[in-house]
Amino acid sequence: MQKLLDRIASEADDWTELRFQARQARTLTIRNGLLEASTSIRLTGVGVRVLALGVFGFASTTDLTEKGIRSAVAAARAAARTSAPAKRDRVEKLADATLARGVFPVDASDPLDAHPLEEKLALTASVEERLRSASPKIVSSTATYDEIQDEKILVTSDGASAHIFDSKPSFRVIAVAREAGKQSMGYETVGVTGGWSDLFAHRTADDLVEQALRLAVDQLSAPQPEGGVATVVLDPALVGLLCHEAIGHTVEADIVLGGAVTGGRIGQRVASEFVTMCDSGLSPYDSHAVGTLPVDDEGVATGRTVIIEHGVLRSYLHNRETAALYGVAPTGNARAFVYSDNPIIRMRNTYIEPGEKEVAALFAGVRRGYYLKGFGMSGEADSNAEFMFGVREARRIVDGRVGELVRGVTISGNAFAVLRSVDAVANDFAWEKGAGSCGKGQAAKVDAGGPHICCTVTMGGRQG
Amino acid sequence: MTQAILEFCRAGVKESLRFGATDAEVYGQSAETTSAAIEKHDLLMARTQQETAFGIRAFVGDRIGFASTNDVADLERACREAVALAKASPGDPRNVLPHGEPIVPVEGLYDPASAGYTTDRAVEQAIEMLRVAESIDRRVVIGDGEFAARRGERAVANSRDAAAAERTSLFLCSVLATAKDGDRVSNMDYQFGATRRVDEIDVEPIVRRASQNTLDSLGAEPCGSSFRGSVVLSPQAVEPLLVALILHHANARNVLRRQSRWDGSLGRKVAASTLFVVDDGRRPGGVAASAFDREGVPHEPVTIVERGVLASFLHNSYSAAALTQKNTAHAAGSAQSVPAIGPTNLTVLPGAASKDDLIAEIRQGLLVTRFSGNVDPVSGDFSGVAKGAHLIENGRVCRPVSGTLIAGNVFECLEGLSGISREQETIVNLTLPHLRVEDVSVTGN
Repeated sequence: MQKLLDRIASEADDWTELRFQARQARTLTIRNGLLEASTSIRLTGVGVRVLALGVFGFASTTDLTEKGIRSAVAAARAAARTSAPAKRDRVEKLADATLARGVFPVDASDPLDAHPLEEKLALTASVEERLRSASPKIVSSTATYDEIQDEKILVTSDGASAHIFDSKPSFRVIAVAREAGKQSMGYETVGVTGGWSDLFAHRTADDLVEQALRLAVDQLSAPQPEGGVATVVLDPALVGLLCHEAIGHTVEADIVLGGAVTGGRIGQRVASEFVTMCDSGLSPYDSHAVGTLPVDDEGVATGRTVIIEHGVLRSYLHNRETAALYGVAPTGNARAFVYSDNPIIRMRNTYIEPGEKEVAALFAGVRRGYYLKGFGMSGEADSNAEFMFGVREARRIVDGRVGELVRGVTISGNAFAVLRSVDAVANDFAWEKGAGSCGKGQAAKVDAGGPHICCTVTMGGRQG
Repeated sequence: MTQAILEFCRAGVKESLRFGATDAEVYGQSAETTSAAIEKHDLLMARTQQETAFGIRAFVGDRIGFASTNDVADLERACREAVALAKASPGDPRNVLPHGEPIVPVEGLYDPASAGYTTDRAVEQAIEMLRVAESIDRRVVIGDGEFAARRGERAVANSRDAAAAERTSLFLCSVLATAKDGDRVSNMDYQFGATRRVDEIDVEPIVRRASQNTLDSLGAEPCGSSFRGSVVLSPQAVEPLLVALILHHANARNVLRRQSRWDGSLGRKVAASTLFVVDDGRRPGGVAASAFDREGVPHEPVTIVERGVLASFLHNSYSAAALTQKNTAHAAGSAQSVPAIGPTNLTVLPGAASKDDLIAEIRQGLLVTRFSGNVDPVSGDFSGVAKGAHLIENGRVCRPVSGTLIAGNVFECLEGLSGISREQETIVNLTLPHLRVEDVSVTGN
């Protein structure tokens, strides 16, 4: 396939990108003691992007014969040329980059395929059974195992020719507890880029079960907190969420061009001096982060991009088109989820660099406040960095000690205002390593994380 | 080609039985889509997509395995894998396949003229969308939009004599517009329209609706007052607030998951007696119109809520068997997933009063165009931002307001529903009137 794509690309009159992808995805879901899904999905196809007369055209096909792929190239070329007369802002050029060539294997010493379906099913069933039987208050229990394995061949007419492998397993548990008309949910997820043994390397299945159960049951009797501005300690997962959802999207160059609040602010102070925020295709500090990829879907190597350095905005996230527009080097952020998706600017692993403070000292500095952990499944953020997130677990901090659980907590405000309020960054670090994905017209597996940080947010309890 | 897809499905059923399945179902779909996208009020990109997919459900006794492939040449392997997954899975006596029933085609799903619909014609429509917006008012900006033409075929066959196939064409136009006047930026407005016939394509009214709504919300100021009272919800606000909750609790799968508040409520009152909710998979012109569901069961109209009383849950064959109720043919999903449960063309029936009549009876209230916030499906509590909102005073819409929060309880809103408009709007597969609800908290600071 690689030779065929190389040949077709080398004969192209216009800039042409060909991306073959073979995906194998499996899902096992057991809910309330019954198998709800045991599925295997195989997707193969080629996506073609052509830049002609300053306009991109795109076509995808499942016909993998030479004739089928050439037909897709012709369709993409025709789409570009047809659009050209009406296009206002033409693509003048693509930024130069050292384009990837060679084979890029996944960092997985224990391949998923080495473990039979029966083993994965047995694990999923035993986890669900433990959730279900742990307490009479549990009325619904779900365990889901997912895996995505990709093989991609990316070829461009200007030199990329990369054979890329990827492997991303994940596991989710959900427990719903009910008592005296009240209902609450506890859920935990884990996900990695890697193999079977990497999946539970930093959190065991037992840990997921215990946490989900504890949250579901304990929240039944937890009070709602008072709303208002509060001093809080955010855990690495919530720090990551804030970085990705509320800040990260506003520095994606296509969103910047669409009028995001970060436009024209490179070099300006946007956060406290304690904050250095990055996005990386590598997995610094701790291996196997979910968004890890060696090269992006334009063939650009993915390094570490410093977005905010000691509080000053330094860079947006680019593909080759926006990098040329801004006169900078591409940052390797062009990604496409499946072959039929056009590559667009996406994050990878987004995080705040660890600071110098001991975690215990960070908590000790809070007289009255809250310890907020994880994403509570609801929320939204806008390109002006305004956000509202549900919090998975919230506990009061009194005189530096973490105590009572409270329920129904949301945090809201402007993410840059939150980052300006950061007055302490701990010296620990963790990726969230969850099972979720980011949506921007198409999905992307991403990760986010950081150290514990201390800051100020507006906190509200839910209605009712 | 439709017949060819069906033959592949039949061949897949035979293969699955040969590999040891006791029953099997194969669902196939094929489509060609050509589209032109708009971004930042400029043509972004035109594209074409050709796709085929098959989903195989293999039964070994009461055990099920599912495999999907998008390659016809891979169908045999996928059938073998589905059987292997079934053999490795625990059983569930509620796993059943429906028996084949006669399928009466729905007329007008396919326009032969769609066969010649090429990329340049999709681009022409996208350009027309930009031109219409500019002709209405230069302050209108289409931030995102798309015109897409889709020709598709779908078929399903199973080992219990179900065999169904149909061909469809669909032309879709979507617009996300805002109005900018100096530093003033309006709320965004989303509109969508669809038709199945080439000669019925008309993007003008869709773009006009979005443009007008967004211009109307220009100059919104904070509401300035907080009160508890009447709110008129436009169809776009009715969808996330009321219809999403109705669909959650009327979904029989959620009854089985113990997540439906309406478990045991068949024949009981769940809303004001003026409310009728029906779903009709055969409705002419409906975006979701088709002769049969994901499992090959023929569609027919289903009344979900009648005079405020819960009349039926939405079922596929699994939930119908589990709850020993009639299968309502609401198996939903693609060839890449096991059949779930979902609506087809859902309608909240109109009332007798006009939208203006609903407003005329309000002394102090709010007209809400869109809702952005949280709805807790279990408790029914909602809170969020009223987008494109207008203050109502003394029976008249007086001015657009921004930053206004609304909060209340959906179940209480349904029970206390005080008005249904005779005007309706179609949002993709949902046809909805304006609804007036009471006792909603409006916070306007």
